[in-house]
Amino acid sequence: MMAVIEHLGLGLSVAATLQNIFFCFIGCLIGTLVGVLPGVGPVATISILLPVTLSLDPTGALIMLAGIYYGAQYGGSTTAILVNIPGEATAVVTAIDGHEMAKKGQAGLALGLAAIGSFIAGTVATVVIAALATPMTRLGLLFGPAEYFSLMIMGLVLAVVLAHGSLVKALAMIVAGVLLSCVGADMETGRERMTFDIYMLTDGIEFTVLAMGIFGFGEIFKNLADPEKRDVMRNKIGRLLPTLGELRENLGAILRGTGLGSILGVLPGNGAILAPFASYALEKRLSDRPQDFGTGVPQAVSGPESANNSGAQTSFIPLLTLGIPPNAVMALMVGAMMIQGIVPGPQVIQNSPDLFWGLVASMWIGNLMLVVINLPLIGLWVKLLKVPYRLLFPAIVAFCCIGLFSISNDGAQVIMAGVMGLVGFALYKLQFEPAPLALGFVLGRLLEEKLRQALIISDGGMSTFVTSPLSAALLLVALMALAVAVLPSMRKSRDEIFTDA
Amino acid sequence: MSQAPEIIQVDLPAHEPSPPLPPPSSPWLGRERLAGLSLIGLGLFALYAGADLPFGGEGGVGSGLLPRSLSIILIVLGLVQIAITWKDRPESTGRWPIRDMLPVLTGVFLFAITIRGHHFGSFEVPALGMAVATPLAIFLSGLAAKDVRIGELLVFTVILTVVCVALFRYALGLSLPVAPWLIGY
Repeated sequence: MMAVIEHLGLGLSVAATLQNIFFCFIGCLIGTLVGVLPGVGPVATISILLPVTLSLDPTGALIMLAGIYYGAQYGGSTTAILVNIPGEATAVVTAIDGHEMAKKGQAGLALGLAAIGSFIAGTVATVVIAALATPMTRLGLLFGPAEYFSLMIMGLVLAVVLAHGSLVKALAMIVAGVLLSCVGADMETGRERMTFDIYMLTDGIEFTVLAMGIFGFGEIFKNLADPEKRDVMRNKIGRLLPTLGELRENLGAILRGTGLGSILGVLPGNGAILAPFASYALEKRLSDRPQDFGTGVPQAVSGPESANNSGAQTSFIPLLTLGIPPNAVMALMVGAMMIQGIVPGPQVIQNSPDLFWGLVASMWIGNLMLVVINLPLIGLWVKLLKVPYRLLFPAIVAFCCIGLFSISNDGAQVIMAGVMGLVGFALYKLQFEPAPLALGFVLGRLLEEKLRQALIISDGGMSTFVTSPLSAALLLVALMALAVAVLPSMRKSRDEIFTDA
Repeated sequence: MSQAPEIIQVDLPAHEPSPPLPPPSSPWLGRERLAGLSLIGLGLFALYAGADLPFGGEGGVGSGLLPRSLSIILIVLGLVQIAITWKDRPESTGRWPIRDMLPVLTGVFLFAITIRGHHFGSFEVPALGMAVATPLAIFLSGLAAKDVRIGELLVFTVILTVVCVALFRYALGLSLPVAPWLIGY
């Protein structure tokens, strides 16, 4: 416990410098902005800003990018409550009861509860990260190639189990993602794979190109084809701060949501995305009046909002301690760290403790800022929502093009992202989730590298993955998760969690 | 805590809910079966694309091991997908308005070839820089909106171009060509 406080103290001394507070503020501001605006997400935004971070110092750069990510979780709820459009995927649940509350004239209460819940969640998650960092890092140091391989397999399996909709489709997306990551020169032999001698494929597909194509351009194509129905909200916002009584009624939901989010976020398979759904289902089950859910119940806003915020933050744990990115945003963080010459993994905490603890502490500072940015400035964000989509998306196109070009200095990459946008649109039409594809792609190269290393160490014996107890345990967890997910009874309750919401 | 605005009016285009879609003309064009077919197609294509890669190699993992195994898994998953949704009522995938997307794609393409120039055989596109590439991308993609207003879009294009150049080139210091034909960089 003392060590945790000591580490957080070190972190605060790094994060509370004027320069880093500034980066944190910029990150939170941009994050809130892209969270509020539907059609631009943190993935596309961080991709665009990646080349900018080159000129910053590593700590400042990571603090800013992290701020964009959790700031977007805050901003997403504003749009969800006021306009019934989830600005972010994780705010889908918030929109259900949050917008009903807004219709009843309780928009302010919903926003206030979301912000306070998120702040409590952010605070708890910061402590969770600080407490888990050292043991997880020690665990990470025990990992050899075989264990890493099994850990990634477990992460990918969990991503399938936790994804929305069809298991087969989610599995197929993961496999397709890993397959796409194989395109380009083989890391070991330098041999070109599946490139058809097209020069822009020789180095493989850049993750930023894939991400901006599918999450940037793909989103735009989707919105052009099927414009979202926007619910005009003409009620009063009402008071923002909940009364003590209301706060007491929601505290349970907030704490349960925080707990669920913290646990699910740590899983190496993007569990954070499930957290708000799980929290909604839990609150509905615990409620005295479950039939009221969907008509504007405050607990259905405060719980899921806390869950998505704590999940977003604890999803930094697998990245920072094990070097395994659990979702697309964390994969971009890997990119940002690599640009700065930092290889993510258990050694980061030892080699650059300033950066590690500074980043963790900045999350708490950022959460404090977000309450300030979000509540009093709510009028400003509402004005932003008035920007019509017909002007918003050309701006997104321009930002994506400039971002892509500045990363690669090559026009061909911009064109490739456009093509990826069409792929993203096809995925949407066929109801494939793009998130598992991105995760598979991100882990693909690492997966092959570790597989090779493990097999070279073991002289080609596949048994190495089961004779190491750690690796065997990880594979067993993966197998059990998969088995449980295909069991008919479990499938039913899994579907319930999603359809409940 | 400052005063919250009394009334908010969010002026967003309210869209009519789309009418229910008619079922597809053939069950093979239903969404789920089409998804399965795409997986099989992708798997077969990847098998063909990686046909020249050696399966084995040092340590037992050749360049072709992972791509080929994954392609086969993809084909199997495609078959499973078709099998488990065989009896479902086929659902249409709705409109595929590629024509509505063409302005965006054209804008992106023109941005890519004009920003630093490009050779097409003997035909050469000069390096026009952000001053030309950015407005092209903004204006052309803006045309894709159904509720486009040309005058408004033109003004917006000019303003946003200035903002982009100021932001990315000068404020953020990225080495992007601005207008090589005019100011040399």
